[in-house]
Amino acid sequence: MWGRTLQFLPKSKDREGLLPWVIGVMLFLCALAIASAVAIGSGIDRWSQGLASNITVQIVVSDPEERTRQTDAALRLLRATPGVADATVLASADVMALVSPWLGDLPIDANLPIPSLIDVQLDGVTPVNAQALNERLRIASPGARLDDHQAWLGQILELAAVIQIVLYAVVGMVVLSTIAIVIFGCRAGLATHAEPIAIMHLMGAEDAMICRAFDLRYLSHGVKGGLVGIVFALTTLWLVSRMAATVGEGLVSAFTPNADFSAWLLLLPVVAALLTMVTARLTVRSALRDLM
Amino acid sequence: MITFENVGMRYGMGAEILQDVSFALEKGSFHFLVGPSGAGKTTLLKLLYLAHRPSRGLVNFFGRDLATLGRDDLPRLRRRIGVVFQDFRLFDHLTAFENVALPLRIKGATKKQVQDHVEELLVWVGLEDRLNAKPATLSGGEKQRVAIARAVINKPDLLVADEPTGNVDPEMSERLMHLFVELNKLGTTTIVATHDETLVSAIGAPVLSLAKGKLGQRTTMADSPAINTGETV
Repeated sequence: MWGRTLQFLPKSKDREGLLPWVIGVMLFLCALAIASAVAIGSGIDRWSQGLASNITVQIVVSDPEERTRQTDAALRLLRATPGVADATVLASADVMALVSPWLGDLPIDANLPIPSLIDVQLDGVTPVNAQALNERLRIASPGARLDDHQAWLGQILELAAVIQIVLYAVVGMVVLSTIAIVIFGCRAGLATHAEPIAIMHLMGAEDAMICRAFDLRYLSHGVKGGLVGIVFALTTLWLVSRMAATVGEGLVSAFTPNADFSAWLLLLPVVAALLTMVTARLTVRSALRDLM
Repeated sequence: MITFENVGMRYGMGAEILQDVSFALEKGSFHFLVGPSGAGKTTLLKLLYLAHRPSRGLVNFFGRDLATLGRDDLPRLRRRIGVVFQDFRLFDHLTAFENVALPLRIKGATKKQVQDHVEELLVWVGLEDRLNAKPATLSGGEKQRVAIARAVINKPDLLVADEPTGNVDPEMSERLMHLFVELNKLGTTTIVATHDETLVSAIGAPVLSLAKGKLGQRTTMADSPAINTGETV
């Protein structure tokens, strides 16, 4: 690939001086978009795994005695169902805490017809048919409502998938923009160095030899830009992780990238440098073909 | 060795700069190319150092028809041709040594070969104490000597010089021409374009005379220009 290299180009910074910085900005945007897309994917996975191992049964009956009877019946049925590891009734205080954002702080004995809530833990080994279980619950406990979270979880997953596609499209656009910028930069470089290139040709230099001089120059631009971009990207991701850690376990922390993934991001400067070099080589080779 | 037969040259759709130019340069010969400004001297030299292909006619370099040569064949052919440009065209960011070394490095010479040959040649042109000087610090005569050294470092079969004495004083002109004559004695076919009639008279080599794109031949500058196409030297 390299062959004999003859560095005949002057070390001028005109026109090409900003290129490493532009590559750095592009890599920064690319790294953030990839990190966001991957983090959304892993966050949704973790979240949906947690919810898939858990279902909720509400006993919606206004009469307290009847509610208690139906709750007991539902509990018995649930505990006898294969695939159910445990089923427990939420304490009245916990239920009141759940509704307090909407109803305010009410006393437990306020005689409100608050439904009973049964938290059902699945063992994750034996699959549970939610629809069949719901039908059997309705027979044993007519006021029972089974919620396996699938309805809104599906919407969340769909939204996450759309966001991921958008983020990967952003990555694609950033890569294409980087290629276009390198091509423009390279053409400007060719115009700037037209005279040395012409003299090298007249002295018998082959296209490959001239291309290699540009290869090295643009590889250097790519490496510099890549390093600048990845340093800023990793710093930004680290700061976001720190902020998320202070928020605690939950939605935000589920979406922060982990250390392994950040290590993979270190490959991006290598990719950026190679992409810059190959783009420059193809651009120079194409331009040289127009010369005699 | 090098023959042009009925060569015509035009740039794009413009008028023909060269018309029906025919001549032959025998191996080891020395020729001057003279003519007024706009006669087509530079265009003819560009054809000789393979910067352009002719619009029409047959050109043969070292036994190979230019029309049959592909783009990939040209670098090898160009390495057999040394060129001295009127404006030197040295690389300003390289030292005299590095400028002269370029053709050798293009050819793939070893570091030792480069070191030995370049130093020897720069001593020969009287620049042994200017090896590491950049062109910006050299005088016109020194630059021209570096350009000549770069043109001949590969021991070319053909040396093409475009107004090599145009930017130097008469004394330096004489010294530079002496270099060309010495190179020619070593077997390098040489063609020098010049306006300096005194120089041409002093050397006494055959003269190719261009006028309005057509080639004539004179044996000395004293002869009247014979605007004559198709003559072979």
